[in-house]
Amino acid sequence: MMSLVIIYVFMILAILAAVFAIECRRLMFSVIGLIAMNAFIWILLLLYNATLLAWIQLIVYGGGFTALFVVVVALTEKQRDELFDWKRSVIALVIIAIIVGFAIWAVISSSGYLPFGTFEIIESIELLWSERVMDLILQAIVFFATSIAIGTLFISHKKKVKKEAEA
Amino acid sequence: MLEQLHFMILGIVLFCVGLYALLSKRNVIKILMGIEIMTIAINIVFVSLGKNIANETFLEFAQIFPLISIAIGAAVMAVGLAIVINNYRHAKSVDSDEMATLKR
Repeated sequence: MMSLVIIYVFMILAILAAVFAIECRRLMFSVIGLIAMNAFIWILLLLYNATLLAWIQLIVYGGGFTALFVVVVALTEKQRDELFDWKRSVIALVIIAIIVGFAIWAVISSSGYLPFGTFEIIESIELLWSERVMDLILQAIVFFATSIAIGTLFISHKKKVKKEAEA
Repeated sequence: MLEQLHFMILGIVLFCVGLYALLSKRNVIKILMGIEIMTIAINIVFVSLGKNIANETFLEFAQIFPLISIAIGAAVMAVGLAIVINNYRHAKSVDSDEMATLKR
């Protein structure tokens, strides 16, 4: 029971550190938030017995990337983060609320099912088709949404170029 | 002890925090931080799925894919930050709206 409380505390701290890294207006403090998040995730991975990944994650993400971020922030020092944009944030939060709700529902509803013992590709495909149809549908949705997004990017860029030419 | 479900929910929440940064922020450095957080979240989900609940052993092999993902993520981040610095020298800005066309 005690260990479960400790795990929950570290999970919440990791999430809070990530939110701090994203929302802090001073970029140097954001980098510190990233370091804190990596440290908490390191502890969680050690508790999960994933020792190799925990250490490599700490070295590469907590050390290497952080050094890179510090250099970039120092080189672009005069740039402060922009003001809080309500419109963008509300739209983003709505999209994310839908995704979180759907993902957590999908995880909890399929948690009793463990696909192990599949060694051949055809077996895995049959399993996907019979047990995880929702995964296939979601992959198709993501694929089409991405292609539509790329298409709209090109269209808006072309319109911009046309407007500039007319002006 | 630490269960698969806890880790998966942590991964989902972290992924959404990273996605929020991608959708709502205009500072490219913040966007790259969001991408880093999303990569970490995916690695966590992979590791959580590698645990075999039936006999309570941890599959060492399950750590290999996150290792590959970390290596690729390092390359992506290095290239992204290099683009940010070059664009800053060029346009004196780290705003993503300013570097929409990557030229001028």
